[in-house]
Amino acid sequence: MGIAVLLKQVPDTTAKISVSGGRVDESAVSKWSMSPYDEYALESALQLKESGGGDLVAITCGPARAVKMLTDAAAVGADSLIHILVEDLSALDSTQVQAILAAAVAHSGSDIVFCGKQAADTNAGSTGPGVAHLMDASCVTMVSEVTPDGGSLMAMRASPNGNERVSVSAPCVFAFDKGIIELRRPNVRGIMMAKKKVAETLGPADLGVDISTSSVSIVGHTPPPQKPPGQKFEGADSVAAVVSKLRDEANVI
Amino acid sequence: MAYEALDFYDIDSLLTDEERMVRDMVRDWVDEKILPNIEKACRDGVFPDEWRVDLGEMGILGAPLKGYGCPGLSYIAYGLICQELERGDSGVRSFASVQGSLAMYPIWDFGSEEQKNHYLPKMTTGEWIGCFGLTEPDYGSNPGDMITRAEDKGDHYLLNGAKMWITNGTIADLAVVWAKLDGVIRGFIVEKNDPGFTAPEMTGKHSLKASVTSELVFQDCKIPKDRMLPHVKGLKGPFSCLNNARFGISWGAVGAAQSCFNSAREYALSRIQFDHPIASFQLVQNKLAWMLREITKAQLLAYHLGKKKDEGTWIPEHISLAKMNNVDIALEIARMARDIHGANGILDEYPVMRHMANLESVKTYEGTHDIHNLILGRHITGIQAFTRES
Ligand SMILES: Cc1cc2nc3c(=O)[nH]c(=O)nc-3n(C[C@H](O)[C@H](O)[C@H](O)COP(=O)(O)OP(=O)(O)OC[C@H]3O[C@@H](n4cnc5c(N)ncnc54)[C@H](O)[C@@H]3O)c2cc1C
Repeated sequence: MGIAVLLKQVPDTTAKISVSGGRVDESAVSKWSMSPYDEYALESALQLKESGGGDLVAITCGPARAVKMLTDAAAVGADSLIHILVEDLSALDSTQVQAILAAAVAHSGSDIVFCGKQAADTNAGSTGPGVAHLMDASCVTMVSEVTPDGGSLMAMRASPNGNERVSVSAPCVFAFDKGIIELRRPNVRGIMMAKKKVAETLGPADLGVDISTSSVSIVGHTPPPQKPPGQKFEGADSVAAVVSKLRDEANVI
Repeated sequence: MAYEALDFYDIDSLLTDEERMVRDMVRDWVDEKILPNIEKACRDGVFPDEWRVDLGEMGILGAPLKGYGCPGLSYIAYGLICQELERGDSGVRSFASVQGSLAMYPIWDFGSEEQKNHYLPKMTTGEWIGCFGLTEPDYGSNPGDMITRAEDKGDHYLLNGAKMWITNGTIADLAVVWAKLDGVIRGFIVEKNDPGFTAPEMTGKHSLKASVTSELVFQDCKIPKDRMLPHVKGLKGPFSCLNNARFGISWGAVGAAQSCFNSAREYALSRIQFDHPIASFQLVQNKLAWMLREITKAQLLAYHLGKKKDEGTWIPEHISLAKMNNVDIALEIARMARDIHGANGILDEYPVMRHMANLESVKTYEGTHDIHNLILGRHITGIQAFTRES
């Protein structure tokens, strides 16, 4: 069996996002990072690989800068890297991205797929189920942990009644939530090994995926409305005013 | 907010991918582990053991050394590691400098094959901590006159004397100690449980509070014959170590200065006086522009020196210039940043006063500011001015 992890490079959650000309200004993003949910998917995939699973391939679809994130994945233990080069990811619709990723998974020969439950930039949440559909695979969402279970895999996921354990066998897709597992840090040895792992770069056409017509066109981005400034109260005299505001305006007491 | 390091001349574009990845690894670690905990560590006067474990796990101790399990990184990568650690705190960088450049390096360069195999693999993982004993209570800038002596007793050496101001001393598993044997300076490896050796901690520091500083006391301290470093004699031994540590400091100081600059810039933009952000006043802008200018110059010095270290085309005077200049401007930037923060600048909510106090030590250790001036003076004129006799 082979394990694939699908990773997306997104603006770091602490980076400032600015909109210019109706579009997010990507050149102004100070830091690009692996989407946080994907980090958990990667960590869990690494743990599965270490407990005897097969080779781990890290796959991303994105512009040239995204290869850095693949190298980061190699530094913590991914065995091989596939980069599907698409300069403007936002011009694709979700089904196109799913088609590309599913084709890349097939290309890598993997039958167990890890990904985040949603990407921290678009928050669409459709990639995991969409890829599973195209692979004709089982899909478990909101996963926090995956462990080997005989010939199958046991996934822990959040449910309304507490944690739920689901056993599935390959082919399968696990879409990860932030979990209880601790993320590993890279080390110098891993970084030096990563130098030797060169990403295989492919275009959508190399995988037989047609991206000429997208069902989505983005009309424009707008920044979220500015939060009104906070209110400050000083001294014991203001207690009554604060209490009435909390009760009548904020409706919290 | 994500940390945005000041890099006005885009030094980043000169780095290799590997150097950038190592830098980012340490940068993230500092954000996650040092910055949220450093003030408490300073208040408690401790170097948390967890930091030792993490530094070992990241694999950055003894960064530029090759073989014996050591990382084998470039000097530029070593410099970047120091820069990021010192952006957190000079005490953390001191720990790594002492371990790598002052304790591992002499064993790596001057030790026997057995010593290298025995000590280096456990030191690069942080399992064993090392310290470096050169300075004595009465001999700081002129260590050549040190009092500590070793005597050859046939089947062992006997050490007598005392070292002072020794970073990591009390927490160290081994000390590389410089002592005179028949009037010649030699290096000895002393282990923490050797009879006649104690390492009491020095207290009351207003600077480098998260770094352990100690005395090393040798009273008829008996060590086996195979603990002397066989391949070096005289001041060349300790001075070679200092060259490497001073190189790291020239980068580290940039990190401390970047931290102070960022804090000052942010504060100046948000602090309103006379109805306007203080960043809009010319006097404040002048200060920020000066900081940017000096940090940029210091970065270029450090980078070019790193290149020379990697190519092997450096001379010790190159290192003196960079250590002296970069610590000097970092200290001045810390003071200026403190000024821009007004009263808030003295609080531990901001990093500036801590960096300022730390940099006072950094200015003094590894050759005081003026000792480096004298080294350069001798280089320029051919006349030594350390002492009146020649
Ligand atoms: C926090 C800390 C950690 C340290 N860690 C270590 C360590 O791990 N190992 C170790 O061996 N040492 C360590 N040191 C010691 C450090 O290296 C010495 O403090 C330094 O070499 C200066 O010596 P000194 O303090 O005796 O000052 P002195 O040599 O007494 O100098 C005092 C002043 O006189 C000036 N001066 C001295 N000689 C001349 C001259 N010829 N001409 C003009 N001016 C002169 C100096 O520049 C300085 O301004 C540490 C020091 C500190 C503060």
